[in-house]
Amino acid sequence: MRRIFISRGHIIGYAAFALAILVVPLFIDDPYLLNKLARYLIFGILAAALALSWGYTGILNLGQAVSFGLGSYCMAMTLKLHTIPIQTGAAGLPDFMVWNNVKSLPWFWEPFHSTAFAVVAGVAFPVVVALLLGWFVFRARVTGVYVSIITLAMLVVVNLVIVDQQRFTGGFNGLTDLADLKLFGIDFDPYSSATYYLIALSLLATLMIGELVVRSKTGLIMQAIRDDETRVRYFGYDVARYQIFAFCVSAGLSGFAGMLYAMVMAFASPTFLSVQISLSIVIWCAVGGRESLIGSALGAILVTGIQGGLSETPAFLNTWMLIMGALFVAVVLFLPKGLISIVQLGMARLAGKKISALTEDEAPLPRGHKLGIG
Amino acid sequence: MSLLELKGVEVQFSGFRALRGFDLSVAAGELRCLIGPNGAGKTTALDVICGKAQVNGGDIIFAGQNISHFEEHRIARLGIGRKFQVPSVFRELTVKENLHVAFCRRAGVFANLGISAAKANADELEKLAELVGLKESFRREAGILSHGQTQWLEIAMLVAQDAQLLLLDEPTAGMTAAETRKTAELCKQLKGRHTMLVVEHDMGFIKEIGDVISVMHQGRLLAQGTVAEIESDPEVRKAYLGSGGIRGA
Repeated sequence: MRRIFISRGHIIGYAAFALAILVVPLFIDDPYLLNKLARYLIFGILAAALALSWGYTGILNLGQAVSFGLGSYCMAMTLKLHTIPIQTGAAGLPDFMVWNNVKSLPWFWEPFHSTAFAVVAGVAFPVVVALLLGWFVFRARVTGVYVSIITLAMLVVVNLVIVDQQRFTGGFNGLTDLADLKLFGIDFDPYSSATYYLIALSLLATLMIGELVVRSKTGLIMQAIRDDETRVRYFGYDVARYQIFAFCVSAGLSGFAGMLYAMVMAFASPTFLSVQISLSIVIWCAVGGRESLIGSALGAILVTGIQGGLSETPAFLNTWMLIMGALFVAVVLFLPKGLISIVQLGMARLAGKKISALTEDEAPLPRGHKLGIG
Repeated sequence: MSLLELKGVEVQFSGFRALRGFDLSVAAGELRCLIGPNGAGKTTALDVICGKAQVNGGDIIFAGQNISHFEEHRIARLGIGRKFQVPSVFRELTVKENLHVAFCRRAGVFANLGISAAKANADELEKLAELVGLKESFRREAGILSHGQTQWLEIAMLVAQDAQLLLLDEPTAGMTAAETRKTAELCKQLKGRHTMLVVEHDMGFIKEIGDVISVMHQGRLLAQGTVAEIESDPEVRKAYLGSGGIRGA
């Protein structure tokens, strides 16, 4: 009974969420605000991707911004090649290359004339990087905090390489002055509702893909690995493969989020591969509930939303970071499973009432029952 | 023909020789008890079979295959299940989910992504839970089970895994007398269908379930035989000197 109800609750929750984010453009005619909301939804994708690796598999990836950044650069490269050249060299060489005395388009830029290639690369490239890193890390049975340290170091390395290779990447400035993405005859202007809808649907697709993974047996084994990695081996599963899988799916989704972000921001820069973004994703998941995909996504939207709201309100100009900090501490202390656990608890209470009306012995024991609150 | 054979197995932990040329042969369908004073290398013997400890010499043959240098998951796939001394189950998963993880028919990441894999035999798993008296807790988290229940859950997980050879490390540790009896019942039920190698201290329990007992001492096989034979063996008495014979172990 409980299971059925909870999964029904899940469906209701998802439907409400989908409806909420899809009707938003109908009530907003401020393109600036719409663009900002679209950005928050992208952060939702990132948080859901981290929930998959951290919340479900126990891999705290502090280098998720690598995938995000690589995805954004893939998109930015194709958009850059589609800008109307103003200060370009021969054959539409990007402006920054002209300034850096690059004579011809580097070979790895060539395929980015094709938008389709860029879209595939934006997912595939981060996945391949994650596959390589994951292969070494998880085959060697590196666990826990050491995985976090290695991924964080990886982030710093990739960031330095991009900053250093100014001639090909635009260095500190990144890739600016990008064209709009044109796909299937639609012009995805960063401030249009078309872009917003593309992002909203991408977030929903991400959540669906994530749910399919975590509800499969593979997802169950991922959770078992989170609980006790060694034990899983003695049941015949190759733990490293499952970890690499979770790591790669997470990287692919983050790369996709990065592509959308480059579109919405109309630039890509090394700040997308910053430690700050990586750590923010962890905070979003922790606040929303890292063991829930939709919880993590909501956490990201909520935190970045409040952040945006507070930092732009004159009264909180100097104190907003303090308020955010207090919020994080409060959630981590009192709701270790994140804000979503309030919803889950409420739902289980409701279900519990229905059940106890039927049978006495099946006491409600919701998944999030180990809470610090009543 | 023996299902499991250890020939002169050596295991060293940074210089300490935990197993020194250990020989053991277990026939298919047998329930073998492994006893010995503390530090004899009983747990190490199980560890080395399931791949937890590295072999430094000698061979381990299982069903005609030399598994001495296989990775843990490959050994498990061949049909060897392990119950640990400290019961280890997945505490954040429900009893049902625990059994489902153990129910490993396809080990691949992508093979397990499909819907059919998610809908493993729920009835079968529930029957297993019933076998070990955990039917009421089927949908509860394993973290809330008592110590004895956790031990039984782990045994049920080995059955779900359908391992040909079960390695049980002190299955009655920390159990009350009633729980120990129930565990003995369980072991008898599994006997025949599974080959079992049980490390145990409780002589009452061993008399209840065991046919042949192997005694270990200082990393070697000291003696082997029925309970009566072992109890009268002068070598065994010597090994247990000071602890009042095997009864006091």
